Amino acid sequence: MPVSVIDIHQLIAVRDISLKLFIGLSNATFITSRTMMESAVDSERTMLKREIADLRASLNQKEQCLRELEDSVSFATRSAQEVVGNDLESPGGTVHTKLTNDDIARYSRQLILPDFGVQGQLKLKNSSVLIVGMGGLGCPAAQYLAAAGCGHLGLVDYDEVERSNFHRQILHSEDRCGMSKAESARIALNELNPHCEIHCHSRMLYPHNAMHIIRGYDVVLDCTDNVPTRYLLSDACVMLNKPLVSGSALKMDGQLTVYNYGNGPCYRCIFPVPPPPEAVTNCGDGGVLGAVTGTIGAMQALEAIKVIVGIGDVLAGRLLIFDGSSCVFRNIRIRSKRPNCHMCSAQPLITELINYEMFCGMHATDKNNPTLLISTDERLSVEEYHRKIQAKPHLLIDVRQTAEFEICQLPEAVNVPLVEILDDSYLKRLGKQLEDKELPVVLLCRRGNDSQIAVQHLRNRFPTHFVRDLIGGLHAWTSNIDPNFPIY
Amino acid sequence: MNADGPVVNVHVLFFAKSRELANTPRSTVDVPTEITATELLDHLVSKFGLTSIRDNLILAHNESYIDNLSDRILFKEGDELAVIPPLSGG
Repeated sequence: MPVSVIDIHQLIAVRDISLKLFIGLSNATFITSRTMMESAVDSERTMLKREIADLRASLNQKEQCLRELEDSVSFATRSAQEVVGNDLESPGGTVHTKLTNDDIARYSRQLILPDFGVQGQLKLKNSSVLIVGMGGLGCPAAQYLAAAGCGHLGLVDYDEVERSNFHRQILHSEDRCGMSKAESARIALNELNPHCEIHCHSRMLYPHNAMHIIRGYDVVLDCTDNVPTRYLLSDACVMLNKPLVSGSALKMDGQLTVYNYGNGPCYRCIFPVPPPPEAVTNCGDGGVLGAVTGTIGAMQALEAIKVIVGIGDVLAGRLLIFDGSSCVFRNIRIRSKRPNCHMCSAQPLITELINYEMFCGMHATDKNNPTLLISTDERLSVEEYHRKIQAKPHLLIDVRQTAEFEICQLPEAVNVPLVEILDDSYLKRLGKQLEDKELPVVLLCRRGNDSQIAVQHLRNRFPTHFVRDLIGGLHAWTSNIDPNFPIY
Repeated sequence: MNADGPVVNVHVLFFAKSRELANTPRSTVDVPTEITATELLDHLVSKFGLTSIRDNLILAHNESYIDNLSDRILFKEGDELAVIPPLSGG
């Protein structure tokens, strides 16, 4: 793509705008024109910055494709050599029996720990840990494991780095936007400790590849963001007899335990039935503080080190609950293996990996999938709203939470969070306005999902009113109407 | 819930989703000194609006998981119950 040509055209466009604005300036219009020019320059600046960020992201993606291509070529070559009988060094293939001088200098502060010592360091050096999910939990976990001298790390993530990751996914950086998260983490980790061998699995974990990927590792860390993958990992770890250090976090809360270790339970022993999709909130919708995922992720690294080295009391058969808002840690004694567990009991009913998205009734990503409760012809596109309704009298209700409404909002919008629609408390505030049957009511939210629930509720109460919601919500507003409207 | 017999007041702590549904991090509830786990669960679910997560939570009595819903639970005044649904974010 001729990057420079686009940029130059845009710069010329900016200059044209400036010139037009300067020409014919009279004293009376000077201030207005200057404000107009500033706003034109502002929007041009925003657009240029956004385009540069997009171009950088697609450059990183192309580089990623190249790396994957080269990886697959070298893998094919190595496989061919293996067939011929040459030794293939698998991860963890070489057993280290001595520490180098560099090891001793680098790890001195943990080497002098009486329980850890040289033997502990050697066990770490010979260990391999698989981290599934390079997000808010995976980043700090990987950071402490690499820094502590874990010899081999496997990193699984299908996703790419984006700006909304940075506040908690602390291995990624601005200039690696668009790069695979596993690859971005590998670069950061190798800067931290070049002796750590890192293998990237830049793909989604599925029932058909999970056993193959997990098999080569000693310990697995569940740093994922969704329910189906949690069941998949637990089942696969039971089958392969791998300890699973499971962490999770949302909002100000965190949970941590080690499954499938000793006589401890597996995930299914504790949660035999997956929660209904509507009871599950992801970080993209519920929010999360980086220091909370950081706390849990760092403790996942600690539990993995204890499992590998064999020190301390591993957090198996106990669930740690962290309430970040009051900074209280609680340990709940959970059960040992459930005698009739479908997975880890002596007579398991499940003997191979299943379809976990179907089992849980939800997708194995934290990406939002559009809800379809109302047919499209009974909804409004943002263009239709902008063209036909915005200038006329109407009632625009934004059903997002107040904290989200404060981030950005359309002019004229009234904030009535969805819960207040569902429990009818909005009637107190808007009852008067809603008496007018001729007044169009338009509901909106961030992506156009919650607004549909609100429409259904309002239509039941006001069946003769014109009630619509905006398809795609504020995200569609930014992409189709106003590129300067912020996206979160 | 069987209202006969002695009743004690116990603390209930709500975590994660249950805190949102109950709309509070903590509360108290009157329970019989002896009750089955199922009855206890049903009581908590209806009193605090936890229907959507009834089958997906850990119920802990004095920081110990209640293993079996058919277990009988003995309560003393001031005991602590915790309602802990799974978190899945990361």
